[in-house]
Amino acid sequence: MAKKQVPIIEGLFTWPSDKPQLIASRCKKCGTVMFPKTAFCANPDCEKSRENVEVVNLSNKGKLWTWTIQNYAPPAPFRKEPFEPYGIGMIDTEEGLRVLGILTTYDNLKLGMTMEMTTGKLYEDDENEYITWMWKPVA
Amino acid sequence: MKKFREVAVVGVGLHPWGVFPDRSMREMAVEAITEALADAKMEWREIESMVSGGYLWVSQREGMFGILSGTAISSAMGGIGIPITSCANACATGGAIFREAYLAVASGLHDTAIAVAADKSAGGFFRPQSEDKEFDLDYIRYVMTGETNPAYWAMECVRRMNDIGTTEDDLAMVKVITSKVAPANPKTRYKKAFSKEQVLESPMVCTPLHLLEICATSDGAGAVILCDAEKARKYTDKPVLVDAAAIGSPTFGDHTIPLTYLSAYPRPGVGILTESRNAIAAVYKMSGRKPEDIDIIELPDNSSWHYFAYLDCMLQAQDGEAEKLLRSGKVDPVDGDLPVCPSGGLGACGEAVVAQGLFQIYELVKQLRGEAGERQVKNNPKVGLAQTYGYAGNNAACILSKAW
Ligand SMILES: [Zn+2]
Repeated sequence: MAKKQVPIIEGLFTWPSDKPQLIASRCKKCGTVMFPKTAFCANPDCEKSRENVEVVNLSNKGKLWTWTIQNYAPPAPFRKEPFEPYGIGMIDTEEGLRVLGILTTYDNLKLGMTMEMTTGKLYEDDENEYITWMWKPVA
Repeated sequence: MKKFREVAVVGVGLHPWGVFPDRSMREMAVEAITEALADAKMEWREIESMVSGGYLWVSQREGMFGILSGTAISSAMGGIGIPITSCANACATGGAIFREAYLAVASGLHDTAIAVAADKSAGGFFRPQSEDKEFDLDYIRYVMTGETNPAYWAMECVRRMNDIGTTEDDLAMVKVITSKVAPANPKTRYKKAFSKEQVLESPMVCTPLHLLEICATSDGAGAVILCDAEKARKYTDKPVLVDAAAIGSPTFGDHTIPLTYLSAYPRPGVGILTESRNAIAAVYKMSGRKPEDIDIIELPDNSSWHYFAYLDCMLQAQDGEAEKLLRSGKVDPVDGDLPVCPSGGLGACGEAVVAQGLFQIYELVKQLRGEAGERQVKNNPKVGLAQTYGYAGNNAACILSKAW
């Protein structure tokens, strides 16, 4: 039987889901989008009222702003087992948020290309696979 | 802006940068202070106030010393009852405590002040300091995205190469040019000059940055003594005036996702590294000086990308001017018209995180006095500019000048 897929940290993206989305906050007054969720709008000119901020699931499409390849294993508490170099990028979502994420591949990437959000496993134990959000190039 | 009284640097000292597992940070700080006091021909009891850099790896080394570094250091010197503040502004801490010490004297509250910081970061990658998956953004970012410091630097570098046309040769030449002076600086950790081939053949850490294009972390300690300028002649024939000392923080809408954060909300016209551009704008405003007045620069070359990004930032130049300056030889660390990183920079010393700003100030003071020995710059500098970059949107800068 397939292992259960469990987010390494819950509450950052919709899960379980066929089309996972990042869970963000948006200011109802000025439109500022923030990830992860926050209690208050980050715009210095906005009133710091909890009522002004709503939870939104971001569209799972964006454009690749920049990226790199992490060639060496970062120290704990990051875990990626077995370790292999991975791509990491900044993605501009349709809502205007620039957000980090591991990339499913680092081959044939071009700045500005369309990326789609998915999930991927970083490590596992006897029962579960532990997953995070990842960005995948759209062909 | 309210005019403060003039303040001068009268003494500087550094414990060498390197790896010192058998020495405590207290000991290293005491050695830096002792050298600074000797430089100023001043007694410890003449120091009227102190600001200390708070060590960031609080839980890992030397117990509570990190957050309480100020009184730990003063007790190692022998307590003299003076006001002491400890400050932690990430890698910009050295510049930040310099500013606080400056303000203590400039305000008229004290005639002397010392900024002191010791750090043992050698071998330490930056990583989160808690396992709080609810509220520690740094922890969430790190375990979910695997973003290391060099990965962030590399991503900014890729973007710069795309936007400006920075080449891999340019990135390698930063190390070639800054490491030229490394063998001549007894305070650095890596006393070695590198060829372009050696740089390009070093391991690729985060594409496009090679191992020799990013800085290591180090142990080190520094101390800078400040004095009311009118009394400075009592201590030195060569007082170095503090024209400006400033701290910058980010502006909403910055295009960068700063280290420790997961996202940004870029606003049109805001650009990247606002904390750095804000600090630079502040020191030019405070000093009344302009970029063309600057004769010598110490910048935070944490990576080859930083060298270019900060040279543009510090000269308030168009993006891409820095690459042209490097290629032209104008910013050669010894022979240039505008020497940059005559200390060898972070590439040569590795970053002793909270002490790094004091390393830069030490270098500017030595160069302005003409006391830098073999690495003395050739352009007879009168005005120097230093800036330190810190993660999580921290920054500090200062302008120093000859007062004789
Ligand atoms: Zn708002």
